Amino acid sequence: MRKLIASIKKEFQLLIHDKVGLLLMYAMPIVLVFIITLVQDSAFKIVNDNQLEILVTNQDKGALGDSLVNILKKSGSFIVEEHNQLSEHSMQQKGIKDGKLASVFIPSNFSEAIQNNTGSVTKLILKEFGMNDDSLMIANKNTQLTIYFDPILQQNYQYTLVTNIQTILFGMENQVLIHNLFSEMGYDEIPDYIAEKLTGEQTPVVAKQASLGKKQTVVPNSTQHNVPAWSIFAMFFMVVSLGGNIVKERNSGSFVRLMTIPPSFTFTLISKMLIYLGVAMSQLLLLFSIGYSIFPLIGLPALQIPASLAQLVVVALLSGMAAVSYAVLIGTYAKTQEQANGFGAISIVIFAAIGGIWVPTFVMPDYMQTIALFSPLYWCLDGFYTLFLKNGDWNELSSSTIFLSFFVIVCQILTFVKLKFQNYL
Amino acid sequence: MEQKIIEIQSVFKNYGKSIVPAVDGICLDVVKGEKLGVFGPNGAGKTTLISMMCGILKPTRGTINYTINENQFDAKTALKFIGYVPQDFAFYPELSAEQNLTYFGKMYGLNSQILIKKIDFLLEKLGLSAVRHKKLSTYSGGMKRRINLAIGILNDPKLLFLDEPTVGVDVQSKYAIDQLLDELNEKGTTIVFTSHHLKESEQFCDRIALIDKGKIIEIGTLQTLLSTYQVADLEELLIHLTGKELRD
Repeated sequence: MRKLIASIKKEFQLLIHDKVGLLLMYAMPIVLVFIITLVQDSAFKIVNDNQLEILVTNQDKGALGDSLVNILKKSGSFIVEEHNQLSEHSMQQKGIKDGKLASVFIPSNFSEAIQNNTGSVTKLILKEFGMNDDSLMIANKNTQLTIYFDPILQQNYQYTLVTNIQTILFGMENQVLIHNLFSEMGYDEIPDYIAEKLTGEQTPVVAKQASLGKKQTVVPNSTQHNVPAWSIFAMFFMVVSLGGNIVKERNSGSFVRLMTIPPSFTFTLISKMLIYLGVAMSQLLLLFSIGYSIFPLIGLPALQIPASLAQLVVVALLSGMAAVSYAVLIGTYAKTQEQANGFGAISIVIFAAIGGIWVPTFVMPDYMQTIALFSPLYWCLDGFYTLFLKNGDWNELSSSTIFLSFFVIVCQILTFVKLKFQNYL
Repeated sequence: MEQKIIEIQSVFKNYGKSIVPAVDGICLDVVKGEKLGVFGPNGAGKTTLISMMCGILKPTRGTINYTINENQFDAKTALKFIGYVPQDFAFYPELSAEQNLTYFGKMYGLNSQILIKKIDFLLEKLGLSAVRHKKLSTYSGGMKRRINLAIGILNDPKLLFLDEPTVGVDVQSKYAIDQLLDELNEKGTTIVFTSHHLKESEQFCDRIALIDKGKIIEIGTLQTLLSTYQVADLEELLIHLTGKELRD
């Protein structure tokens, strides 16, 4: 035990002298988690907090163009700037120059075409009911609403905007259709009580977060997603410090001397793993504390810690051991520090990419989702998301804990085999 | 009667798939309390032989047995009696002399009180007391050699292996190292060492083993070898037996 304590003390002394390693392990993830969360939070707000600035050129000769512009303004989803005298081409240019992410061009025949097309549908309905004949049918007129996007706006935001405007248009067209029906049947206006029903009794759509547990579900936000994800990335990035440290020590001669002092070498490896497991846990603690207490001070959502601390500790320890075991494996097999640092860092970036740290795996193609299962970061993330976003129980955690345990065992066996083969153990 | 402390029997060592052995069937007895110098050209097999004698490498074939305090040991069990000073600096340059000595002393299993005294003694003896708290990375080459030696003898070894212990050191450091090794030897430590400083080593060794191409080509006291081959010194003897051809 005294040997192990001495070995742990030595590893701690070596760690605090590794200034670059400490920066990589602590400063880098703090910077990353701040930047990514801030960026994603503001992107989230662009779409959900209804702040998209748009330019509108309304050249419609009828009333529906004005109605559309009014609805856009009142919807709260957009800050609308109107310039009705511009040509379609000039509007595009002005939109880009003024930094508008989208410009909407309403053509001069917009009302006429909608009236005409809905009128045509009205006639068809009446014909179906035996209240009309073919001689009164109206031919459709073509029109289109054109939205020009700033090329920097990502496609998912473009789709969201198009869907919003299509929904508004659909509502307007329905209203015109109903109005036409009543008109054809001899009414001047839609009776008030029906108009009220039409506008006030829409089926409500309530958005809720699915939960695996019985407890109240955590509202997902950029903090809940990013803090666990980048904490995992930070833990695995210790491969640069720990992997390089092992190679350096192996090549320095200290390991050779330790081979003549059994079982010092085993103690050295165990103490390295314990010290770096401590580093991994302190990284988690630091990043979770920042998410919990600092984020709200700068306007970001606060991290909500899962109710079950026991589950959190188990997932954290398993993730930490997976990161440490992988770093030790790389440090054992690499011949030079450059190999350990280069391969280690690149492999973690790849594992992070396929494991869903940057982009959620559900948006990946099927074959990429299968490949993601081979990334230890995927299973760490799965474990943390089960706790942080779904309030899952032990049963839901089983797949990630089993895989991570398996990963740790495989890394340790491969390390043992290599060291035994090299006569270190 | 001379007591053998190491008995090496037909030891071979091949690296990887190489068919040319680095050590080719060496048989050698090391006598308790002697200072045995192992000399030879580059690539002769000296470091491989010493690495096998102190348990770092396993022989491909053959046996190495140790008799210490009248008990028999194999390479693994004899390690607690062995001290090793490798040619490369084998310490942590980020740590101070005291931190390194404390760590390796604890690894040798030394009691804290004894270790503190031992560290004070060695640092004083090797002239490093004043810089005991400085990082080893700031030490000169000679100071690093001295601390490299100090770590290797912390456990008062019965058997001490030194691989080029004085390479690249100044006269003062060499003197301090030689003095300390003589004192250890007088207290009963058997010393096996290699060096390219043949002139200085002549004075130090009780016996000399000359090795080339993985085989021992001659062994004996310096006087016996010089008179047998009618040469003036060890350098001339080595040239006589191994030739002037350059080695890798």
